[in-house]
Amino acid sequence: MDSASNGIQEPFDLIRLSLSERVFVKLRGDRELTGVLHAYDGHMNLILSDVEETIMIVDQVEGVSEGHTTVNIAKRKMEMLFVRGDGVILVSPPSRG
Amino acid sequence: MSFFGFEQQTDLENEKRKFLEGGLSGASQDDVAVFTWGEDSYDGLGDALQEGGDELNDETFGISGPVGKDFDFSGTSLPEHEKPAPSEHAQASQASQQVQQSSQSAQRTHASHLDAVWSNKSPFSVLPRSSGPFRTHDHLGDSASKSSLLAPGTSQSTSAHKPASLSLGADLHQGVHTLEEIEREMLAAAAAQHQQQLQQRQREEEEQLRLQQAQQQLEQLQLQQQLLHQQQSQAQMPAHGLLQSPSRTHAPPRQVPGPQHAAATPPPRMHPHSQSPRFHQQQQQHQIHLLQMQQQQQQRQLLELQEQRERQQQRQLLELQEQLRLEEMERQQQQHRLQQQQMNAGVNELMQSHLIHQRLNSGGLSPAFDSRARRVGRQSPLMTPPIQVDVPFAQNMQYLPQNIQMQQRLLAEMAQAEFLNTLQSAGLPERETRESREVQEILRVEAMRKIMEAERMEEKRKRRLDKIAHMSRYNDLMTQSDKDFITRIQVSQLVTQDPYADDFYAQVYGAILRSRMGLPTSEDRVLKFGSGGGVGLGLGQKVPGRRQSAMQRMEAQVERIVNNARLREKEKSSLNNLQGALGRTAGRSYKAAPRQLLQVDSNNVSTSPAVSHASAAHISKSDAARAQEEGEGAAREAAKIGREALRNTADSTGLVHRDPLTHREALVKLEQLYDLVLDLEQRRRDQPNPEDIEDFEQWTQECSTLIDQLFDQLLVSVPLEISTPHPFISLITPIKGKKLLPRVARLLDNDRMQILLTLLVACFSQLDVVIQAPMLDTLEETREIKDLESQTQAFLGSVVQSILPVIAKAQMRLVTGLFGLLLDRNDIVAIARTRPGIALLTLFLSRAEVILQNVANGSEVDEAPTPDELQSWNMLYNHLFELLRPHLPLLFPSVRLSMLSGVNFTSIPNSDVIDQPVWQFFASLACSANDTQQQVLVGGLRDVVLENVTTATKGMGLESEERRRLRLANVNLFLHALGLDSSQIVI
Repeated sequence: MDSASNGIQEPFDLIRLSLSERVFVKLRGDRELTGVLHAYDGHMNLILSDVEETIMIVDQVEGVSEGHTTVNIAKRKMEMLFVRGDGVILVSPPSRG
Repeated sequence: MSFFGFEQQTDLENEKRKFLEGGLSGASQDDVAVFTWGEDSYDGLGDALQEGGDELNDETFGISGPVGKDFDFSGTSLPEHEKPAPSEHAQASQASQQVQQSSQSAQRTHASHLDAVWSNKSPFSVLPRSSGPFRTHDHLGDSASKSSLLAPGTSQSTSAHKPASLSLGADLHQGVHTLEEIEREMLAAAAAQHQQQLQQRQREEEEQLRLQQAQQQLEQLQLQQQLLHQQQSQAQMPAHGLLQSPSRTHAPPRQVPGPQHAAATPPPRMHPHSQSPRFHQQQQQHQIHLLQMQQQQQQRQLLELQEQRERQQQRQLLELQEQLRLEEMERQQQQHRLQQQQMNAGVNELMQSHLIHQRLNSGGLSPAFDSRARRVGRQSPLMTPPIQVDVPFAQNMQYLPQNIQMQQRLLAEMAQAEFLNTLQSAGLPERETRESREVQEILRVEAMRKIMEAERMEEKRKRRLDKIAHMSRYNDLMTQSDKDFITRIQVSQLVTQDPYADDFYAQVYGAILRSRMGLPTSEDRVLKFGSGGGVGLGLGQKVPGRRQSAMQRMEAQVERIVNNARLREKEKSSLNNLQGALGRTAGRSYKAAPRQLLQVDSNNVSTSPAVSHASAAHISKSDAARAQEEGEGAAREAAKIGREALRNTADSTGLVHRDPLTHREALVKLEQLYDLVLDLEQRRRDQPNPEDIEDFEQWTQECSTLIDQLFDQLLVSVPLEISTPHPFISLITPIKGKKLLPRVARLLDNDRMQILLTLLVACFSQLDVVIQAPMLDTLEETREIKDLESQTQAFLGSVVQSILPVIAKAQMRLVTGLFGLLLDRNDIVAIARTRPGIALLTLFLSRAEVILQNVANGSEVDEAPTPDELQSWNMLYNHLFELLRPHLPLLFPSVRLSMLSGVNFTSIPNSDVIDQPVWQFFASLACSANDTQQQVLVGGLRDVVLENVTTATKGMGLESEERRRLRLANVNLFLHALGLDSSQIVI
């Protein structure tokens, strides 16, 4: 199906498809969100509900060669979240399956 | 311009002395010494007071407005709690007085009036002078009335206590006393007590010094005491010289005469009526020049004063010793008098009045202190809080700081201790003493409570005033035109092509709110402009006022902007405006990503570029384009289906299967559907007047076209077997698809809804909520379970709700047909184990039951089913019953859960709630059952019923009455359908 018949003309039309669907959002600062997308705007400000935030905390251990880092993952859940658009790197439907 | 010279201050001293000497009336002034200081420094300038040329002073120095401290360069501002409260007032009052004096040539005629001001002991009496435009208060009455006028405003509890103090005054003197006199007496008593207290602690001065270090709040109080000593000694030593305030040891020396300070020009934009600074520019330049001169003078003065002060300090220390001794003597006399008063007046009244006067006086220790305190204030202008001058309420603030409260409390406690002592030493009979002590205790508690209350109130007010003061720093930073400019920018971002849709949620919510409050559902709260643009106004404002006028201003602004924009649009439409536009972006980047000024759209070239610049245009344009494409797509699709159908009939091998819609395809189609639905809903809101036949006709035409389109796109009419799941089922798989259905149902007529219902029934087992339903039989709480749960809720809440009216109106034929379809095409046992399935079955059963009841009653004859229909219904019912028969208890989610988890089904959390629909289903099943079937039902559900009734009646494992009642109600629902009741069950 080509994009024209989808009625998809601009990138935001793709995000529109995910309205009220669960989305995966990658944020600056090693953060990721999954939640139900309720609204977005031209700045890619997002409103998500039922959100789980995953924060990657990379610890570079002293005296250990590059690449030997420990990654701690912190998670938290929120009922409703406003995401400011300037932190958004990627919005996608969550991987299915 | 006499008050430009700093010597003028000594003029003031002189004036004051004159007043005091002239106007001393023995009774009211008995403990006020005659003031004769200031003679050393008196240079006689006051005699040659320059009287002319003062007419423009007020205007020049903005005396009527708040005074800025922008040019108060000499001072580090004192911390808030160190602000000496009374002195500020004194200063301000003196300022006003000096203005009066210099501007009024006939001073003597005002002597008595001014004298009253001078000798007024309550600092509140000077309040109006410092707070408002001074001239308006020139003719205020005597100080007593002033203080009584002003006191309530300052401290609310004061007025309540006033009668007590008045009666006390009458008791004491058997004559008519002014409030002022009484106040003075009470204050003297308080001060005396305090003094005695200090006396008992050996050396007073040491104590004071210690306190000074320990408690900053006491500082002010001590200052005033020291002043008293000084004044007493001055009274005995007339040739003492300049007033030497010990406060100078604390306050940096800066002797700026009051008027100068008061007359300091407000900073340019702080000028009270400076809406536009340009307006006052000339005046300001003049003022700045004057101020520079003033500053130079001040600096010179400061240097001189510093030297003076050092000399004075040394002298002062020596004098202090002497003063203390003298003062102690006087204190003892006062003490004696006080004891007599106490005996006469009783503890009660005295206590209360003490509290009042302490508050009234706000830290002034004794009546005699006030006039001196004023002078102190004038001599240390630095102690003026920086904010005071700017803030209209600042005068009140001075009475609020903590040091005053501390003083009040201290004094109250001291007074109480004092009373106890005197009472004991007076040798009252023991009983009376005890009684009075009890009374005292009560009063003390009461008094403390009131003090605390007052303090709380004051604290609150203080916070508020602090906030106002804090904010007022930014007063008048922007001119009106600045503000207008900002407003224009903001408003221009709010203007849209479709104000109602852009403000949709606020509009609808506001309408709901208004209708709920019983207000008339007025028109859309939208500002519309001729050009089609507009601004949504959001929720209606309940309180008119400032907001209202702001609205009107905005309206005017918007009008202007729109007109300007229209002009620009006109310019833009001429092509030469596009010269050099290639690659340039439009300035407005707030709506979306910056877009090219020159936009060439290959899809519809016909659209003028100007239109695409309109803020909301790109969305509607793309929608239109999309709709067009959809139309083509649909046509193509229809043709294909038609071809397939033809081919199918041709080779009659059955239907050709297609791949089901992918999730993404479903989402895309759903968005298109939503666009259609939104468009239709908007059109229904814009319904033209039915009397306007032509418009209405056209509107109806358009709507029906759109509805046709909508129905097509729901893919309901696509052959059943085209794919699994059916495209329509795919469409209602996402939660927004389910939620779309009620909105679609409102638009579709009954026939189409019946088609939709038929399709839904036929493909029921393809539904996600049915397929995945077994997953819900778990006690876990994963994300998937939660999502499925919300999907199920959405299905029950939206899909079932939208088909409910169709079934409720269905005739027996349709019910039978749908029921047959359901049994035919689906695994009924599996469906019956799901919540949607149970809901659907219950719907059919109860509708059939209602029809049968109606037939029995003879009502709704036109709906009467034919015997054939009845027969087929019975057949279908029996079929269903036989299918379900082996699985009856398993229909209960709690039973299934207990099988999985091994817990007894009655102990499954929330079992009653999740079982309730099943009980309802069984009730409707039982209604239509014949005797044998009823027995089967009872037999099959026996265990479940018994267990439930047992636990409900015995309360085993049930925490709350609520659950027990619910459980019994569930069982009874079923039993009543059989003509039984749970109470008949003997356990």
